[in-house]
Amino acid sequence: MTVQKSDLLQGTLDLLILKTVALGPVHGYGISQRIQQVSREALQVQQGSLYPALHRLEKRGWLQATWGESESGRQAKYYRLSAKGRKQLQIEESEWNRLSEAIGLVLRTAE
Amino acid sequence: MEWWKSLFRKRALDAQLDSELRFHIEELTEANIAAGLTPEEARRRAVLEFGGREQIKEELRDVHRVSIVEGSLANLKSAFRFIRKSPSFSITVILTLALGIGANSAVFSAIDGILLRPLPFPNGDQLMELRQYNPKTRSPRTRLAPVRLEDWNRMNSTFQAITGYYTEDNSETSGPLPEKVTQAFVTPRFLQVWGISPALGRDFTREEEHFGGPNAILISDRFWRRRFGADPNALGKKLRVNGFSSSIVGVMPASFLFPDRDVDLWSAVPPDAPIAQSREWTWYLAIGRLKPGVTLEQARANLATVQKQLGIAFPKTDADLIVAIEPLKEMTIGGVRRSLLILYGSVSLLLLIACTNIVALLLARAAQRQHEISVRFSLGGSRTAIVSQLLTEVFVLALAGAGLGLVVANAASKVFRTLAADLPRIEEIGLNWRIVLYSLVCSVLATLICGLFPAICGTRRNVSSSLTQSSRTQVTTRNPLQWLLVGVQVALAVTLLAGAGLLLRSFQELGRVSPGFDASHVLTFHISASYAETADWKGLTQRIDRTIDSLGSLPGVETAATDGTLPGVPSHFQIELNFSEGQQDTERKIVAESRFVSPAYFATMRIPILSGELCRESPDSLKSINVMVNRSFANTYLGESTALGRHLQEVPISGLLPPGEIRGIVGDAREEGLHREPGPTVYWCTSASGPDPFYLIRTRTEPMAMAETVRQKIHEIEPARSVFNIAPLTDHLDEAFAENRLRTVLLAFFAATAVSLACVGLYGTLSYSVNVRRREVGLRLALGALQGQIVKQFLFQGLGVSFLGCVAGSVLAAAFARVLSGMLYGVSPTDVTTLLGVVVLVLGVAAVASLAPAIRAASVEPMQVLREE
Repeated sequence: MTVQKSDLLQGTLDLLILKTVALGPVHGYGISQRIQQVSREALQVQQGSLYPALHRLEKRGWLQATWGESESGRQAKYYRLSAKGRKQLQIEESEWNRLSEAIGLVLRTAE
Repeated sequence: MEWWKSLFRKRALDAQLDSELRFHIEELTEANIAAGLTPEEARRRAVLEFGGREQIKEELRDVHRVSIVEGSLANLKSAFRFIRKSPSFSITVILTLALGIGANSAVFSAIDGILLRPLPFPNGDQLMELRQYNPKTRSPRTRLAPVRLEDWNRMNSTFQAITGYYTEDNSETSGPLPEKVTQAFVTPRFLQVWGISPALGRDFTREEEHFGGPNAILISDRFWRRRFGADPNALGKKLRVNGFSSSIVGVMPASFLFPDRDVDLWSAVPPDAPIAQSREWTWYLAIGRLKPGVTLEQARANLATVQKQLGIAFPKTDADLIVAIEPLKEMTIGGVRRSLLILYGSVSLLLLIACTNIVALLLARAAQRQHEISVRFSLGGSRTAIVSQLLTEVFVLALAGAGLGLVVANAASKVFRTLAADLPRIEEIGLNWRIVLYSLVCSVLATLICGLFPAICGTRRNVSSSLTQSSRTQVTTRNPLQWLLVGVQVALAVTLLAGAGLLLRSFQELGRVSPGFDASHVLTFHISASYAETADWKGLTQRIDRTIDSLGSLPGVETAATDGTLPGVPSHFQIELNFSEGQQDTERKIVAESRFVSPAYFATMRIPILSGELCRESPDSLKSINVMVNRSFANTYLGESTALGRHLQEVPISGLLPPGEIRGIVGDAREEGLHREPGPTVYWCTSASGPDPFYLIRTRTEPMAMAETVRQKIHEIEPARSVFNIAPLTDHLDEAFAENRLRTVLLAFFAATAVSLACVGLYGTLSYSVNVRRREVGLRLALGALQGQIVKQFLFQGLGVSFLGCVAGSVLAAAFARVLSGMLYGVSPTDVTTLLGVVVLVLGVAAVASLAPAIRAASVEPMQVLREE
């Protein structure tokens, strides 16, 4: 079996990335930091999962990438949401909501 | 062209990946420094936190890979590296596949040329052969009267055109010496039906196809080159054939070989010639070209209606006739189809054995490569990637094998063409892009068959991980799978060998039959003649008798005779007869083979006269004739005592044969084919069965030594005639079974190859097993086991598997034999002796193949093996 690289479901990671990138152009390091901060350290994205996911999303045309200078003055690859990615984000968001609502419903009834 | 860009971008991509990841690590380092760590510690932590950078990069590359092309290129490179690294293994695989694929492609090229491709004429599938026959008599007189052919052509609605032809061997006398030429006489529309135009010159004109018009002639490319050195000015020159002068109007293309490859000339026969008006003459073999879209059934129904109308118009001659139509291709191929398919099946089994062999080799190889494979896994290679790389290795080997196989196939099909010169369409067999494509498909299939299984087995993670740990200290691998493969090979080899054995036995049986005649020291030949001579049978008979007499008086010649067909060469000419005197037994039909022989035939062929006397040739064979019957005829229809003096006549009376008086009874002889029991036979004693019978002379010495004497004698007495097709009778008999022999030889060859491959497989697997178990053997020897026990153990392992293979193979062989059953003679398809012989042979060879590794196992030095650890 392949080593589990992330506790996150793959689809979830995609959603998190899309959402994070939606806030504005950001590099890979920034994405991992932001997810960690926003989730109050609850979600740790492994680089081994993050970068393949970023490249996959770029390849699908949901993200657009450009090289630019970071705050520290180094060259970094910035990801930005494309129009297609924005649509995808909406879809995934509403699906997530539906799913979590459904799960919540099950959990509440089970109590 | 996305992937091209990606190929060029590969380096750039790598740099980008690198700097993207480096950026991440640097940021992490900085954050750590900010948290108060020393720069070194900060960097160390960052790298640690970031994790396997190379692995991530590999994964990212995977994302970007437009994998097939790039992946394949990388795989190809490493495949070549692998092949260079293990040359002997690679050469073994390549040679095995070259043999398998080569033999397969060679047989396929024959199947392609003979069975699959349409005839080499435009829309060749529209061409049909048409025959007439009378279901009430068994007479095989299926040729067509010229008028009837014209009727069919005029009255049908399903054929574009119908044409007819017949051939004669004639003498061309415009040169200094008479030259034998094969002349085809054709009706109008001949070239139209073929859809072929002359390469040079023109088709016959209307006038030339009318009675009394100018005599025109088309010549073959061969004749054109032979006689005129391919000079275009040959057009308009005159040839003199049988005393008729004709001008050359065209040269046919070299590819046009119809009616057969020997035709030199084509002449038009005017359908309005007075001689062509009888509805009873049977001259032509008819060929028709269907209209586009018309099916065979429609054509058959249409011609049946036409013939019914003719039956009403001409009740006497046409009422009983029906029309048979078959595709010309089927008629051309004849019985070859089955032989070819059997050969193809055998050669495919051979390829399967070769593949199985390679599977076993690769499995052993995969076990050796466990280490390499597990290193790849640990470097993060995915299973698909590793499997596809292993497959690429096999594919490269298979491709090399196929390439070499094409060379083998080319050589083999040349041999095939020489061996099988008499097969129909043999000149169409050759290497072309279809065969190359076929070999390619073979190699892909071979790759999948050979490679997939070992690759999947070899990359099972648990196996690889366990083996990296276990190293050499473990006694493992009984590898039942490899033994199964060996068993399969033995089984298939036994199947082929049993088939070949049955064919060989049949051949042997055939050689053992006593044919009832003596074919040795008999020379056969033809003397050119024309059908025009049949207008005067009396003169014709006298001419032939004169020839026979002077041949018989040559020194070195015992007797000379003529015969309508060659004894022992398969043929059939059955007719129905009845007795002229006494009451007619209408219930019981008298059916007999009919042969036309000169009286000296019996002495020449050494067929004994059992009772009565030798027939005499009557002065006018149209009025009365002497006949001889064989013992089988006398016993079946008469009883020996009452036969002599009875009169036989043909039913229905055609007017071609007068009633014949039985003068004597001769011994049974297998004249209709050595493989057939002699049936009731009637010999009509006339030297002139036609203008050009077979001449047979019994010589005192080697028959071919007389050839020149015969030629000179004929030139002396008949200066305008040529002698041709001079050959000993034994050659004709050999030729008659050429296809049979070819089939047997090839199958025996395939079977021998199969057995050797299976033995190589057995040897290889056992050697491998011995190698793997060296330690175990050493230990046992150290503990006091006897060498003999070790030998016995390995020998029995090899033999046991072979025996099981033989059992399975015998079952398969029984199925195979059923396919062969129609081709066997004197041996039953389930012949136990053959099967036993095959099993004993295979086990014997298997024992030899097992012995060497077994002895090697027993000669292991215990101390040395134990010290190796």
